[in-house]
Amino acid sequence: METKKDSQTIAEYIKNWSRKHSLFVMAYGTGCGAIEIPATMTSRYDAERLGIRGAATPRQADVLLITGYLATKTLKRVIRVYEQMQDPKYVIAFGSCTINGGMYYDSYNTINVLEKYIPVDVYINGCMPRPEAVIAGFKQLQDKIARGDADNGTRYKENLDWYRANQQQVIKNWRMPDYNW
Amino acid sequence: MVREKETTLYIGPQHPGITGNMMVKVKVQGDTVTKAEVHVGYLHRAFEKLIERRNWLQSFTILCRFCVPEPDPMELTYARAVEELEGREVPERAKYIRVMVMELARLQSFMLWYAGQSGSAGLYTLGQWSVGDRNYLLDLFEDLTGGRIYHMYIWPGGVRRDLPVGFKDKALRTMDYIEKRLDEYDKLLFDNVIFQKRAQGVGIVPADKAIEWGVVGAPLRGCGIKADVRIDEPYEVYDRLKFEVPTAFGGDVWARAQVRRQEARQSISIIRQVLEQMPEGEVYNKIPNPMKWKVPAGEAWAKTESVRGEVGFYVVSDGSEFPRRVHVKGAAFTNGVTVTEKILVGQNIADISFILNSMGVCPPEIER
Amino acid sequence: MLEQEQALLSQVTSAFPVKGKVMRNRRVEVWAESTTVSSILMYVKNQMGYQHLNHITCIDRIEDTKFQLVYTVFSHQTKMTLFVKTFIDRNAPVMDNIDHIWDQANTYERELREMYGIQFPGLVGAQEFILEDWDEMPPMRRDFKTEEYSEKTFSSLPGRENTQDVRETISTRSGEEIPDFAKKYSRD
Ligand code: SF4
Repeated sequence: METKKDSQTIAEYIKNWSRKHSLFVMAYGTGCGAIEIPATMTSRYDAERLGIRGAATPRQADVLLITGYLATKTLKRVIRVYEQMQDPKYVIAFGSCTINGGMYYDSYNTINVLEKYIPVDVYINGCMPRPEAVIAGFKQLQDKIARGDADNGTRYKENLDWYRANQQQVIKNWRMPDYNW
Repeated sequence: MVREKETTLYIGPQHPGITGNMMVKVKVQGDTVTKAEVHVGYLHRAFEKLIERRNWLQSFTILCRFCVPEPDPMELTYARAVEELEGREVPERAKYIRVMVMELARLQSFMLWYAGQSGSAGLYTLGQWSVGDRNYLLDLFEDLTGGRIYHMYIWPGGVRRDLPVGFKDKALRTMDYIEKRLDEYDKLLFDNVIFQKRAQGVGIVPADKAIEWGVVGAPLRGCGIKADVRIDEPYEVYDRLKFEVPTAFGGDVWARAQVRRQEARQSISIIRQVLEQMPEGEVYNKIPNPMKWKVPAGEAWAKTESVRGEVGFYVVSDGSEFPRRVHVKGAAFTNGVTVTEKILVGQNIADISFILNSMGVCPPEIER
Repeated sequence: MLEQEQALLSQVTSAFPVKGKVMRNRRVEVWAESTTVSSILMYVKNQMGYQHLNHITCIDRIEDTKFQLVYTVFSHQTKMTLFVKTFIDRNAPVMDNIDHIWDQANTYERELREMYGIQFPGLVGAQEFILEDWDEMPPMRRDFKTEEYSEKTFSSLPGRENTQDVRETISTRSGEEIPDFAKKYSRD
């Protein structure tokens, strides 16, 4: 268990501690990495013992998993899902595809760098990451939460103009509702 | 009679009941579907375009990603098409190993299907079991190829390497275990009144239309039609093995489930036979330097049987180092689009994901 | 040998003015004019039991400014596959719609319309099948440069090695001495 850092108040410490042990994962398989999620959640790897479990709708979820390449058509939906999620929210990106295009670097329909469109907390590399790697990634996210560095939602809000400009460059027909997070 | 107003419902792409990243747009009247449209394209990675830019061997990294739940039939089909173009022979031992890999892939895909089918009926225990047990099959793959999901193991001219030491014993032990577990799955799923009541008479594919609609795989055999590429056009060593192609009648979710239940057992028996009969020898015919490897010009069509149905590759070469065109026709392209759109009409909203699971709809294979 | 295939070929060639050949066992191809394709398909489906339409493939023969279309049909009785092949003009690609013969052809044709820009008069269904808001040239055409488009639209981070270069380096290097331990993996 993490010890309290001097910069944190007691209230922050308790808040972060409880947050890190209840991560509700958005069930949205956006790419091939999604096939290892059932394996991670079920008996052998059993991610639920770490407080990680699925949530059916964006409003209930804390963690958005981007499980690999994102087609531009999916990117639009992912942004909508991401914007509907309530703070605190975190994003974990899977696989080389999200980092810099991976093996689809020359495809006309998949984005290359995920970080340009939504902020990312943890990258899990590999093609595709094994369940152990997925759990290690979640562990890293938990550490980050405990340290109080996971500020995904605020980063997005503060730099919204930059993210919007990037998003609109790819999504040509921008018809989306504004959410009042 | 009061008619309810028609409402449009969007199921997916983010929806816990959908089988992957796709969308089903349904018009409903009350609780009954009056019109269904399958929308795909959320996973389009332009594979067929990218393969034109990769050389013959580099394409394998892309090929296996065509269908995530069951990647091996894609590799085998492409390898067979290339072998046909080139006239390359495959050593006997490699043929047996290929059949073994195919059947292991089928088996692990059945495990995922058990989880999906029972999960969409609200029976979550079976999913925990079968996906957990699937790891034992993935362990076998890991020993054999080094990868859990994507293997890139089958090559034109054979397979990448021989079986590791002790693989046969481990595989046989795993088969014994899985066979035992399949009986327990039956108790949870097929003996369960909830599943029986939900599956019978739901999502019917009419037997007289099935062939014309282009239905393939388990949904076709669920209509009582004995069609399977493994017996229609035996490839590798399937003509030397003893196995049944199970069929069922009714064409509903229940019939398809029965077919798959028996097919899983047939796969186990095939794996055992293959491990017994496998001769010693080389496992691949060397191909020339892959960077300069040219395949003679021509067109070839190869197909194999995957869990979802037949997978066909139309490969065109113009005699250069790069494939000219590789067209993939996955089973889900008809099963998952036109056929699903038709059989969803008249069903309840609650049964949509149930039917999608039983049709084996796999979006990455549809849009590639 | 191959009597069944020859019989199938002669049955089709006697009914229609087409050329064809037996490719190998269970594979027969015929080359037809684009206008007769739909009647051939109708005939083989209704008279000869080729009821299963596997797929429709398009191959971009850019050097002849033509599209080659391949219709693959399969019979569950004889277990044979028949390919009906045709050429259409690449600059004004129009082809007969066959979704009254097979419903699933609708999906295949919508894909071809989107990926190659082939028009099928009378084809109903949403214009967009796979892509969304696409305003460039149909992407599966040979002259669409996917890497340039990707670089322009999605600009990747620096540090990616180009595969083309790797391939060249390796093939120029293949004259080099290969270390002993690696010899057994060499495939020259
Ligand atoms: S990194 Fe690999 S496994 Fe992950 S989405 Fe990309 S290709 Fe698929």
